[in-house]
Amino acid sequence: MELGPILSSLRRNKVGATLIALQIALTLAVLSNALFIVAQQTAMSRAPTGIADESSVFFISNQWIGGDEDLAARAQADLANLRALPQVADVSLSPAQPLGGRGMGMDITLHPEKRRSGVLTALYPVDDHAVNTLGLRLIAGRNFRPEEILISHGFSENYPTWGSVVVTREVARALDPSGNVLGRTATFSPGKVTATIVGVVDQLASGRFGGDSAGAERGVLAPLLWAGVNGYYVVRAKPGQVEAAMTAARNELYKTSRQRTIASVQTLADARLEFYRGARGEALLMSLICAILLGVTAFGIIGLTSYWVSQRRRHIGIRRALGATAGSILRYFQTENLLIAGAGSVLGVGLGIAANLWLLRSVAMERLPPVYLIVGTIVVLILGQISVLWPALRAAGVPPAIAARSA
Amino acid sequence: MFGYYFNLALRSLRRNIILTVLMIAAIGIGIGASMTMLTVFRAASGDPIPQKSAQLFVPQIDNFGPQSGMPAQYADLLTPDLTYIDAIGFLRSQAATRQAAMYPTLLAITPTDPAHSPMQVDARATSGDFFPMFDVPFKFGGPWTRTEDDGHASVVVLTRKLNNLLFGGSNSVGQQLTVGGKPYRIIGVLDEWHPAPRFYDVGAQTFSGEDQLFLPFTRAIDEQMSTSSSFNCSGATGPGWEGMLHSNCIWIRFWVELSTARDVASYNTFLHNYAAEQQQTGRFHWPPHVALRNVTQWLSYNHVVPAAVDTLTSVSFALLLVCVVNAIGLMLAKFMAGTGAVSVRRALGATREAVFAQFMVEAGVVGLVGGLVGVGLTKLGLVSCRAVLDEDLSVLTRFHGSDVLIALAVALVATLLAGLYPTWRAMQVQPASQLKAQ
Amino acid sequence: MLKMTGLSKVYRTEVVETYALRELTLEVQEGEFVAVMGPSGSGKTTFLTIAGLLEELSAGEYWLDGVDTRGLTDRQRSRLRNEKIGFVFQSFNLISDLTVHENIDVPLRYRGLPASERRRRIDAVLERVGLTSRARHYASEMSGGQQQRVAIARALVGEPRLLLADEPTGNLDTQMARGVMELLEDIHLRGATIVMVTHDPALAARAQRQVYISDGQIMALGMPPHLVDGGHASQLATQPSEPV
Repeated sequence: MELGPILSSLRRNKVGATLIALQIALTLAVLSNALFIVAQQTAMSRAPTGIADESSVFFISNQWIGGDEDLAARAQADLANLRALPQVADVSLSPAQPLGGRGMGMDITLHPEKRRSGVLTALYPVDDHAVNTLGLRLIAGRNFRPEEILISHGFSENYPTWGSVVVTREVARALDPSGNVLGRTATFSPGKVTATIVGVVDQLASGRFGGDSAGAERGVLAPLLWAGVNGYYVVRAKPGQVEAAMTAARNELYKTSRQRTIASVQTLADARLEFYRGARGEALLMSLICAILLGVTAFGIIGLTSYWVSQRRRHIGIRRALGATAGSILRYFQTENLLIAGAGSVLGVGLGIAANLWLLRSVAMERLPPVYLIVGTIVVLILGQISVLWPALRAAGVPPAIAARSA
Repeated sequence: MFGYYFNLALRSLRRNIILTVLMIAAIGIGIGASMTMLTVFRAASGDPIPQKSAQLFVPQIDNFGPQSGMPAQYADLLTPDLTYIDAIGFLRSQAATRQAAMYPTLLAITPTDPAHSPMQVDARATSGDFFPMFDVPFKFGGPWTRTEDDGHASVVVLTRKLNNLLFGGSNSVGQQLTVGGKPYRIIGVLDEWHPAPRFYDVGAQTFSGEDQLFLPFTRAIDEQMSTSSSFNCSGATGPGWEGMLHSNCIWIRFWVELSTARDVASYNTFLHNYAAEQQQTGRFHWPPHVALRNVTQWLSYNHVVPAAVDTLTSVSFALLLVCVVNAIGLMLAKFMAGTGAVSVRRALGATREAVFAQFMVEAGVVGLVGGLVGVGLTKLGLVSCRAVLDEDLSVLTRFHGSDVLIALAVALVATLLAGLYPTWRAMQVQPASQLKAQ
Repeated sequence: MLKMTGLSKVYRTEVVETYALRELTLEVQEGEFVAVMGPSGSGKTTFLTIAGLLEELSAGEYWLDGVDTRGLTDRQRSRLRNEKIGFVFQSFNLISDLTVHENIDVPLRYRGLPASERRRRIDAVLERVGLTSRARHYASEMSGGQQQRVAIARALVGEPRLLLADEPTGNLDTQMARGVMELLEDIHLRGATIVMVTHDPALAARAQRQVYISDGQIMALGMPPHLVDGGHASQLATQPSEPV
């Protein structure tokens, strides 16, 4: 292809070419980072909780009125009544909800004598029904036995030990790289409570505690029947009966006692949507901005190239008169665009990395994997070719006869 | 001459309608996207209490010591909340003009009509100083005073919204309300009050969170109402509610009002002395480490502007930049197509300044029209933001009159800047070029 | 009115220097009608662009109506063009998206005259060129002769002391050319100084004085170039002579 004339013509249209290259560069820089953010947010909002069939599990937010009574007895009565419902498979109770607003954080370690050896975990004080209700996959050891369940009035009992505890694989690995933790004694702080690790489940996500999601897969089950004022009944409905179970459970609770408020009854699937609404929204807005960006860049290329074509109509006509085919004119403009977009891409990769470094500093962002720069480059190069097509076809359509007419 | 140039600009823009539409679209889209996010960003980073933000302070004291593993967002390793012990210590000291301890809690209200189920409301246990300190407006009645604080009185203040719900908006002052199964007397009803960000309690629901009911801190402690927000402990906790109160657990937010620089200085001294005393008595094993932050400093310390808003704002301004570069190219094409007329005008006596003015007016017209398009797109953008952003942030998507002016000003400035180079090129057109062209 | 001494104009590119005018000396008196003749590429047009302050000279002196034009700022030059000089171009150079009225209005706008004064002057000059009825038309809707009359009206509306015309009839047929020429003569009779560049001897003959340019220099005054040697002519040119 005739690069010589293209380069010399570009030299004469330095500014226009520079502007297009600059647009391509900025577009690529934004696009690659935005794609990365979108991918991250999307992956995050789909992250598994370790809970099987999220749409069959729902949480009832319960608050007792009149805290002086024996809340443990009231909770046990509720649990028994809920379990008796025909639509319900199993029920447990916890003060924390995965993918919910409330959660509890505690440090766990196998070496309490070592400073700062703790691993932050999301603590779920639950009874022996939790593993079954949540549908957690037990990969080692066992579940709690009913007789192991203690009663907790908001951690104020100061048990020196909880006896047993079930951790996730992630926590097991964090405690000991071999992951072999069964039978070992874990110490929780604050409080220096000890417990023997009796089981390991595959996965259990945390709620949002302390504004930190570091414990995303670091759930820990403690054998504590929650007798605090606020708690969640965790209910697994029988297959296909979740709607009916939600209504029945609410009615059943009010039938048992009206000395309570039920702030919400929500399936885990809905809780997930709400919990990640922001992440999905960010991904969506980011995609929208990218789409607009690509559109604007495309129109910029179309506008400027059309102008060049109209400026060079006579030259094109002369070339055609001298024997250039329509195809060669088309290829001329396509090659020209490829050169400009190529130069822009080189700059854009640099800008993209710079933008990523800036984002690393100002917001919690990870280092940009090169694949996003590669994908971005391919996208802008294709965008350039598509955008240049219409003006280039118009150029190819310039009749050779125009050379004969006066300017 | 402005009218003349304006007229010329309109003709010129009509002449090449495709380039004109592309230019206006580029500016409009750039403004629309950037103003959408700027509106959200401004709302997120706004001053919620401008008349007093420099006089309200959060005192901080290091409860966990230098070895604690505080989240990295608190770079100075200070704990954001106070323990009950220190909150009481600060309250007793009376070292500030006004002071309020506070924590959020979830309370159950039992309606008088037994047919209705009890309802759960977000409540705030705080000191009576809370209301005058934050300029909280009252519709009926008023706040409780230190007398009620000291007397652990069973009084509540309702928001207008809750009063509307429970009493149909009528004056409910003096009426009884069953809260957590116990009777309380309504002492006041607030008027509309929605500081955003909710500076006095940032964290979850920083922007949309609203307390529905307020009650004395002392009463809430007596009733063992637990916090519904963060509760962090270091070291062992004692048994029961009393044990918790006297453990090293941070969960109480404290605000003070300090009117003058001297007050601020003396409160700083007080904080320092207080921490030193704790070290002397052996409660803290570290030298005094304290801070006193006003509203603005507190909001920035807590990174109130969400990272998503930050990123989206940056990205949308990058889009504006692309749109401006785009507009430079299109304007260049447009202006260069009119060099013949420029040359004639120059020959007829137009100075370079006159050419500059003519083309800058044309750029300005593009900017203004683009800005108006941008305002429309901003409204559209805010609607879509409201639909998809986190619920807490959706209160930030309100479009104010001042935002229209900002959008137009940004559009105008951006387009005039974009027009500078093409105009400079037009100014370089020689008056003789038409003669030579023959 | 116009006095050029040792005037040179050089166009430089990276590789070559081209002299468009070389040591040109010429004086035109107030109220004269001078025709400047010469073959293509002789420098006639460059002479006119310098005389019209459209380009700066490279060397020499140029006094216009008693003003030394060297070292003037763009603003001062623009103002002189606007107030003292009227241009009539071969290709009319009307601004296509303005009406006749608006085209004539352009120099008055840059002079900053009030609207009533501009209107009065435009009406007067339109009447003079006989185009009052076409004031709202666009240039593209008119014949070449009419367009040139508009251009002349635009040149006259500012009441310039000096009218510079570049092949004013070059793009017109004979009949239209005659009309334009009569108009120029009429303008001259009313006291304006006219310098007209042309290669048409018949047209030039109607001026009071003829000047020949060749190779960027004045060759002769009122005589065909082959009868005069170059050096002499330059000296002679400083002295005004009676029209032939």
